[in-house]
Amino acid sequence: MSQSRQISVSKNGIPITAIVALAIIFVAGLFVVGFDQGHIFSLVYGDEAFQDLYIHELTHDMRHAAGFPCH
Amino acid sequence: MKTFLFILIVVSSGVAAGLIHGSMNLIFVEPSLDQAIGIENQHLFASGEEKDTPEFWIKYDGYRTWQKSGQVLAGGILGISIGALFGIVFALSRNSLPGKTDVKKALVLAGIMWLTVYFIPFLKYPANPPTVGDPETVVLRGILYLSFIAISGFGAVGFYKLSQKLKTKKLVAIIGYAAFIGIVFVVMPENPDQITAPVDLVNNFRIMSAFTVSLYWLSLGIILGSLWHHYKPHKEIIPFN
Ligand SMILES: [Zn+2]
Repeated sequence: MSQSRQISVSKNGIPITAIVALAIIFVAGLFVVGFDQGHIFSLVYGDEAFQDLYIHELTHDMRHAAGFPCH
Repeated sequence: MKTFLFILIVVSSGVAAGLIHGSMNLIFVEPSLDQAIGIENQHLFASGEEKDTPEFWIKYDGYRTWQKSGQVLAGGILGISIGALFGIVFALSRNSLPGKTDVKKALVLAGIMWLTVYFIPFLKYPANPPTVGDPETVVLRGILYLSFIAISGFGAVGFYKLSQKLKTKKLVAIIGYAAFIGIVFVVMPENPDQITAPVDLVNNFRIMSAFTVSLYWLSLGIILGSLWHHYKPHKEIIPFN
C-alpha cells in the first residue's frame, strides 16, 4: 500500500480527494432539493423536463419545510 | 486519515439525520403544508382553473401522497448534502473544537453551524408555506437567501481565523462576527413578497419548520460524533503495511 503515502493531504491531514468528493455531494444535493426547476432531468429528457418539474414536485415539501424559497 | 471510512461516516450520519428530519416533517410540518395547499385549491376553484369534483380530490390525494413520500426522500438527500458540509468542517476543525469527546465536539460544531448557516439566515428570510411566494421573485429570493447564508458562514470562519492570527480570545471573534452579521442583517434587502396567507398558518408553519431543522442538526451532531468516536477515521493508516 505504498500508494497511500502518495495521496495529497491538506495541512490538517485530511485527504484533498475526500474534501472534493464531499464538496460535490454538498452542492449537488443542495441543488436537487433546494433549487432544481427541471434542470437535472433536462439533461436526459430535454425541454420537457422544465414542464414536468418532476424533481421539483418530489422535493417540493422539503423545499418549503427546510426554508428554501419556493412558491 | 482513513479516506473511505471518513466519507462513509459522513454520508451515513447525513442520511440518517436527514431521514429523521423528513419523517419529523411528515408529523409536524405537513399539516401546515396541507392547509396552505388547501387554500390554493380554493383559489383554483374560485378562478375556474379546477372544478371542485370528486375526481379532482382523488387525483389530488394521490398526488399529495406521492409528494409526501418525496418529503422523506428529499430529507435523505438534503441530509447527505448538509452532512457533507458538516463533515468537511468537522474534519478540518476537530482539533480546535472544545469538548473532550467526539460527540461533544460534533455537537458544539453542529450548534455553531445551526446558528450561523441556518438560524440567523432563517430570522432574516423565514421559511414560508405554499401560497405565500410570488413565482416571479423565486430566483431573487434564492439569491438573497444563499448569499446571506454564505456571507454568514464565511464571516464566522473569517472572524475565527482572524482571532487565531491575532492570538486574541475566542470571545473577540464572536463579538466581531455578531457586529458583522448585525450590519449585514440590516443592510440586506427584505424578502420582496407580500404575505397573503393567514398569519396563524404562516407562524405555525415557521415554528414547526425551525423545530424539525433544529432536530436535524442535533441528530447530525450526535450521530456523526458517535460514529467518529467509534470508528476513529482520523487515525493514520500505518505506512508501508
Ligand atoms: Zn412551493
